[in-house]
This record gives sequence, structure tokens and C-alpha cells, in this order.
Amino acid sequence: MKIKNLLTVLLSGLFVLSLSLWCFFGKTPDYSESERRVLESFPKVTFDTISSGEFSQDFEKYSTDRFPLRDTFRSLKAYTRLYAFSQKDNNGLFVAEGHLSKLQYPENPVMTQHATELFTKIKETYLADNKIYLTIIPDKNMFIARQNGYLSLDYKAFSEYFKTEMPYAEYIEISDFLNADDYYLTDTHWRQEKITDVAKHLAESMGQTLNDTYTENTLRYPFNGVYVGQSALKVKSDTIIYLTNDTIDSLEVEGAKAVYDMSKAQSKDPYEMFLSGTQPVVKVKNPQNAEGKRLVVFRDSFASSITPLLSKAYSEITLVDLRYINSSILDQYVDFSNSDVLFMYSTMLLNDSLSMK
Amino acid sequence: MLFSSIPFLYYFLPCVLLLYAVTPKKLKNLTLLISSLVFYAWGEPRLVVLMLITVTFGYVFGMLTEFVPKAKKLWLILAVTVELGFLVYFKYVDFFIGNFNAVTGLSIPLLQVTLPIGISFYTFQILSYNIDVYRKDVPAQRNPINLAAYIALFPQLIAGPIVRYSDIQKELTNRTHSLEKVSLGVRRFILGLSKKILIANVLGELCDTFKASDDKSVAFYWLYAIAFSLHIYFDFSGYSDMAIGLGKIFGFTFMENFNYPFISKSATEFWRRWHISLGSWFRDYVYIPMGGSRVGKVRMFLNIFVVWLLTGFWHGAAWNFIVWGLYFALLLVIEKVFLLKFLNKSKVLSHIYLIFFVLISFVIFNASSMSEAFSYIGSMFGAGNVPFISVETLYYFRSYIVVLLIALIGSTPLPKRLVEGTKFVKVLEPVVFLILLAVCTAYLVDGSFNPFLYFRF
Repeated sequence: MKIKNLLTVLLSGLFVLSLSLWCFFGKTPDYSESERRVLESFPKVTFDTISSGEFSQDFEKYSTDRFPLRDTFRSLKAYTRLYAFSQKDNNGLFVAEGHLSKLQYPENPVMTQHATELFTKIKETYLADNKIYLTIIPDKNMFIARQNGYLSLDYKAFSEYFKTEMPYAEYIEISDFLNADDYYLTDTHWRQEKITDVAKHLAESMGQTLNDTYTENTLRYPFNGVYVGQSALKVKSDTIIYLTNDTIDSLEVEGAKAVYDMSKAQSKDPYEMFLSGTQPVVKVKNPQNAEGKRLVVFRDSFASSITPLLSKAYSEITLVDLRYINSSILDQYVDFSNSDVLFMYSTMLLNDSLSMK
Repeated sequence: MLFSSIPFLYYFLPCVLLLYAVTPKKLKNLTLLISSLVFYAWGEPRLVVLMLITVTFGYVFGMLTEFVPKAKKLWLILAVTVELGFLVYFKYVDFFIGNFNAVTGLSIPLLQVTLPIGISFYTFQILSYNIDVYRKDVPAQRNPINLAAYIALFPQLIAGPIVRYSDIQKELTNRTHSLEKVSLGVRRFILGLSKKILIANVLGELCDTFKASDDKSVAFYWLYAIAFSLHIYFDFSGYSDMAIGLGKIFGFTFMENFNYPFISKSATEFWRRWHISLGSWFRDYVYIPMGGSRVGKVRMFLNIFVVWLLTGFWHGAAWNFIVWGLYFALLLVIEKVFLLKFLNKSKVLSHIYLIFFVLISFVIFNASSMSEAFSYIGSMFGAGNVPFISVETLYYFRSYIVVLLIALIGSTPLPKRLVEGTKFVKVLEPVVFLILLAVCTAYLVDGSFNPFLYFRF
């Protein structure tokens, strides 16, 4: 009994004391690689912050953010929750069919309404004479969520809403060309080497022909998608394969460093290698088809990897990301004349669209 | 400051324990008092003054009662008036103004008074002290530091149990510390921490999810009622366990606050097992002084209604708490009139009866308004035009079933019996508690700020 008492006090005491000393005197990183965010700084110590309780609130965040072995503890929590307690998800993240994913549920009518109103405003302001298309990229939950007992959007109803609210746009259905294998296991995005059929279907639906062959190139660096850090689970890394051919090699890019920006390949998010990731306006010019049609794409990050595949069919593709440029000043940066316009968005952004202005 | 937080576990507690260990015996209460004031001021820096004023009044009236006994009734009336006055003002004034406005049609502006953390707990403690001194059950505490340490003692300051001065009077001046006590305290604290973090908080998530859901169903309403009942039990009893454990580490023995209430077979038994320190406080300081059950039946029923009206109101300044208290009063009266006789005949039926009415009671308790309570209860019986089951219900049922089962089993004495009856498990206890502590830390590190439910009562 005495040994048990001693062991209880010693083990628990040492655990708390060692971590406590680490909290007080140890150094912790300012940035969380796994969560891709800056961690809280030590709060300001003033009479006002202390007397108002602001200091204690901020210290709570600081001490939690800067706790020693944060990622290890986050992993312990994730495994306990998902495997010891058999909970379906941890912070909305789940594992199904080898994929890490996040619940995209429920549909948010405020967000979808915001998106359609914004698109309609753009149409009325800039697109009087343009042929307008719309396509919605389903997130990978369409193929893995409901099938494995997880909550997911009603994708049919979701796209029907946009079709109804945007009667001026011709809807292009692409979900028939997609399945779970077309997405990275650890990330939200689709794999470029798996969406050549989607690109062909899109081009043909917009009246262009696209018969192209590609060479597959494998990126040397492992790709740990956005869900790896968020989930805190140990999973196998993805590999990025990017496609090249003569057309893609000859493309000229404005607003991004290159079609495949190798400086981003080793960054925290290697998917940003596609057209340098998030940029407000990117122009991709195809000198091999200088007389061809032009296309303006209102887009999110999914478009970065499919645009090089579409480029052969157009003389110029302009990508506009409304999260980084306000729609009221588009005419200063985008020439809509003689262009087809494609609204190409993932369900994830449409269901969380307030960042688009 | 919450016990279930990183600042408490890895900053405050280690410092206090070290300081306490090196403090000479004579100054240990002062160390505890200063630590407790820091603990309290962490969340409510300005309102620490109010607590100190309350303690001062309690001390002065206690001394006056002992040394000027001729006017002891007056001192008691003044003590109760001042101490309850603070509670009424800080907790209930806006409720009264709001209802006065509703009845008269006036629009007197609300005072928007900030509710001091733990005011209901420490007010009841200082009241019990003054009443006990008046009754000569205990002598007045001469040393203001000892009295302040008793009231402000951080293990029980913000969420109870409502420790009576008479229970720890001796330990305040002469308490012993031992490895066995510390070990017992550590185990009790980690057990409470695990109940709070691994079960209560997780079930709390389920309740929040339910409330935010647009895809409710009859089954989801029932799942919510079960989840919330278990949530509040594990939340509150977990906090009490932590308080009792910390008390043990510092050499105090606090009263038990819960005794497996969900195994009860009547509301009468339930209230002997649920929030025992509050129930016994009202029994000793309200019910019995009103005559208790040694009066005529009508008067006894009136006493019950008064006590449970106050019990409900103690929990919060809102009508749903009052209705919740009266709901139990009604059950208790019905049981006393005839039902207990029938309930005693069948253990199974009486248990089903109790669980059913407790589930309904906690739906009322957690409602944001009485109309929400009626709507929820109606929907539990299919009145809300909701389907019997929905996709969301099934998902969350599957996702939380293991935690719910652990909670259900954990709310009975079964795990305790298993541990006590298995030598192998007993040997492993130190490692099991270490693992629980690590997992709780992991949940805290991953989680966001999570306020304790009984904080505002």
C-alpha cells in the first residue's frame, strides 16, 4: 500500500513538475508547422489587462498554444478520441478509405446565398456579352463520407441551388469524372494527374477541343497535406505528380512565378507549386494558340492545378481569386472582352464563402 | 481559474504546492489564503474585493455574536441581510427588474451587474458560519486569516462542495499531512479531472451540437436529454472530486457531494445523493428551522415547496431554474403522499420512473427559456413535427455511444467495485492515473477554453 501511494505521488508529481518546469523555463517554437499558424505570444502585462481579466484569458491561450510537446499531446488526444473512444471524428477530421478528410456539413444557406449574389453582381457589372459557365468541384467527401457513415452535404441539392440561382450560367457537371482516388489522401485538393478527363470535359463543354498527352513528373519532396497537421495523426505522405508537355512548357505566366513554381515545392504547402498558389489575378498565356479564345476563370485553389491542362484550348486564361481581390475593382485588372467566363469553385469554398468580396 | 486548465495544472498548482510545502506550519493558512486570492483574482480581479468584504462582515458578525451575545439575534439578522443582500444584488437584481418590467409594463433599465464567480457557494458558507456561531454549534473564529482561508480556500471556492465551517474547524488550526492522504488526494483529483475532461466536456460537445442542429429528431431529443444529464453529473461530480482531492492534499477532509444519484429509485433518494452539500445546507438552515416534517402535512408540503423553490433559484436567476426546483418539490410531495409505497415494490419500475423524471428535469434545467423547455419536452414525445430519427442523430449516436456507455457505467458503483475487487487493477493504479493525467493534458492542449458549468451558480 505504501509503495502504491509512493508511486502514485512520484509518477504524477514528476509528470506535472517536469512539464511545469518546461512551461516556465523551456523554449517553445513561435510557429506551429503542423497547424500552419503562428502560436500565441505572451500577453501584455499592464494594470488594465490584468484588472480587466484580458491577461488571464490571453495567458490561457498562450499556455495552451506553447505547451511542451504540443504536437505529441495533440496526437495522443486524436488517437484516444478516434480509437479508444471510437468517436467518428476529431475536431471534425476523420479517416475513411485511407483518406484524411474533414466534415463538410451542414450546408450553410447564408454562405451559398452570399456566393450566388456575388456572382450575379459580377455578371451584371462586367459580363453583359460573355458566355458564362459554372462548375462545382465536389470535395472528396462526396465519395467517402456518406459511404462510410459520415455526414456530408447533399451534393445534388447543393448544385441544384446554384443552377437555379445562376440561370445565366451553363452548368457543367464534372462529378461523373471524379472519384476518391482523384484526390490526395492527406489534402483537400485533387491530383493533377487524375483530372485530365475533367479538363477535357470542361473544355469540350465550353466548345473547345482538347486532345493532349502529358508526361508525368514526380516531385521529390513528400507532400503532407493540410489535414496531416490538423488531424495530428501519423499517416503516410502523399506524392505530387505534375504534368508537362510542349504546350505547358511554353506557357507564359503573369501574376505567378511559373506554371510549376519549384520554390513552393519545398514550402509548408507544396500544392502551392501550381501557379504559385494563392494569387489575386494570374494570367496564363499560350503562345502556341495566340489566336484562340480567351477564358476568365473565377476560382479557388483547385483551379491552379487544372489550368495548365486547359491552357492548350485557349490563347489566354485569366484566373481571378475573389478572396484576394475585391470584385468592385476587377475591370482594372481583368479584360473580359471576347472571353468566356467560368465560375469554378469547390463546394468547400461555396459553403464558406464570406471571404469572397 | 479552472482546475481543468493548463494554467492551473502546470503553473498555479505546482507553485502553490511547493510554496505550501516549504511554509512553516503557522503560516500555512496564510499561504493558502494568498494562493486562493490569486486563484480567484485570476478570473475576476476586481470582484476579489467583494469576497473579502463578505468575509469581513462574516468575521465581524461572528465576533459580535460571541462577545455581545445579548444582541446576537440582531447580529445574525444583520449578517444574513448583508450577506444575502450581496447575493441578491449581484445575482438576482436584473432578474427582478426584468420581471417587474414585464408585469408593470415599465422599462426600468437593467443594471447589467457582473455575477461574481462562486458567490452562491461562498455566501452559503459564510451564512452557515454565522448561523452556527449564533447557535453555539461552533465558537467564533478569532483569527481572521483562518476564517478568510476557510471561505476563500481555492479547492472549494468556486464550485463547492459547500464546506461547513464546523466540518473543517479543527483542520483549519490543526491538520496532518501524510503520504497516504496526498496519494488519495492525487488519485481523487485525477479521477475528477478525467470525469470532467474525458466525459463531461465530450458530452457537452454533443449537447452543443444538438442545440445547433437543424436536423433534429425525436431520438436526437432523447439522446440530448441523456447526454446532458450525464454531462452535468460528470461535470459537477468531477469538479467535486477535484475539490475533495485537492483538500486531501492540503490536509482537509471535505464532505462528499455525490453518491451515485442515478442509481436512485425515487426523487427523495435522488436528492440524498445529488449535490449533497447543498441539499443538507437547505435542510439544516431552511427546512428544519421552518418546522421540517415535524409539523402538519400541509405545512410540511409548504416547507418542501419553499425549500425547493429556493434550491431552484439558487442555481440561477431564471424561471426555468425555479420551475426545475418546483418540479422536484411536486415529485417529493407526491412521493410522500402515496408514491413511495408503490415505488418500494419494484426496483426496476422505480428506477425507470426516477430516470425518466430526472431526464425531463435536466431538459428544463438547461433550457434557455421556459418556452424552449416546453418545446424540447414536447418534441421528445413527437409533438414538434420532427421525424423519429435523422441522419445526424444516427451519426452522433454512433460517434458518442462509447463515451455514453462509459458514462452510464461510470455513474454506477460498478467500476469502484471492480477496482476494489481486482488486485491486479489495484497494483496498476499509479500507472493508470498517470495515463489518465497525460490524456487529460492532451485534451486540454488540443482543446479550447472550456468553462465549467457550475461556475456561475
